Amino acid sequence: MLWATRRGCHVDRTACIWLIRRFIDPEASFAFFGDPAEAPEGAELFDVVGARLSHRGEDCSFETFLKDYELEDRVLREIAEIVHDADLMDEKYARPESEGLDAIVRGMQLSLPDDHTLAGHTDTLYDGLYAYLRRETL
Amino acid sequence: MERPHWVLLVYRIPREPSRHRVAVWRKLRDLGALYLKDGVAALPEDAVTREQLEWLQLRVREAGGEATLWEGRPGTVAEEAELVEAFRHLREEAYRAIIAGAERLRRKARLGARAPLEQLGKLEREFRAERRRDYFRSPLRGETAQALKAAREAMREGEGPAGTVGAEGKP
Repeated sequence: MLWATRRGCHVDRTACIWLIRRFIDPEASFAFFGDPAEAPEGAELFDVVGARLSHRGEDCSFETFLKDYELEDRVLREIAEIVHDADLMDEKYARPESEGLDAIVRGMQLSLPDDHTLAGHTDTLYDGLYAYLRRETL
Repeated sequence: MERPHWVLLVYRIPREPSRHRVAVWRKLRDLGALYLKDGVAALPEDAVTREQLEWLQLRVREAGGEATLWEGRPGTVAEEAELVEAFRHLREEAYRAIIAGAERLRRKARLGARAPLEQLGKLEREFRAERRRDYFRSPLRGETAQALKAAREAMREGEGPAGTVGAEGKP
């Protein structure tokens, strides 16, 4: 399935891409656009204003994904808290990891401006975060 | 180091009801944006600042205003240096307030008064928020970190038996 989002990804979008690939659609391919008018036809949009899979109420897009796909995994829930704090900066969950994650992904986006390349690297980052939190919550 | 790009939000929002105007202004302040002119707010560009301004642009439009988002950089290196300095200057007041708060806690602890840890926690949270919008490392950042560290140490020493301090350091 083709998924599309805005160019210049940060924590919320890179985490959604990882979530889609690992938990929703292993065959996923992604497109990134500058203007919503350039979004490929038939693609499922995410983290885009007005899309089903976007910010909703207080939730960031990653949290919306977990709810809509009924992904009930404790570790994903924790990652959602970290992503929320890094994305919305409201310290809602006061997760200390979010500050580091924000700095790392922000910097990666500056050094890897191509979103496909960026997402390849951030996948590894979220795999690691998942493994770490999973061990903690065994 | 490559020169930074900048994003500018150029907006106009109806005066009434004032809550939209205030909410946009407050959000820009929290982001650490610099007003170049009335209704023209600038931030150094990255995925986060651009995205935040995109949301704000939408918010202004929803409130019946006009907003456009621009990317660019000043024409000369000198102008850019001035802009960076202005951003650093913008953070000084908040850093000074945190330094003063930390100093008060340190003096309290030195005098043997029980300085509440929550107050230190609050200052540390403020420092984290400030650091996040301190895009060009204002010179007072280091001083603020030092002041907080001194306050933390003074409070720890005031905690009582030295053993409690040592215990924390043990593996």
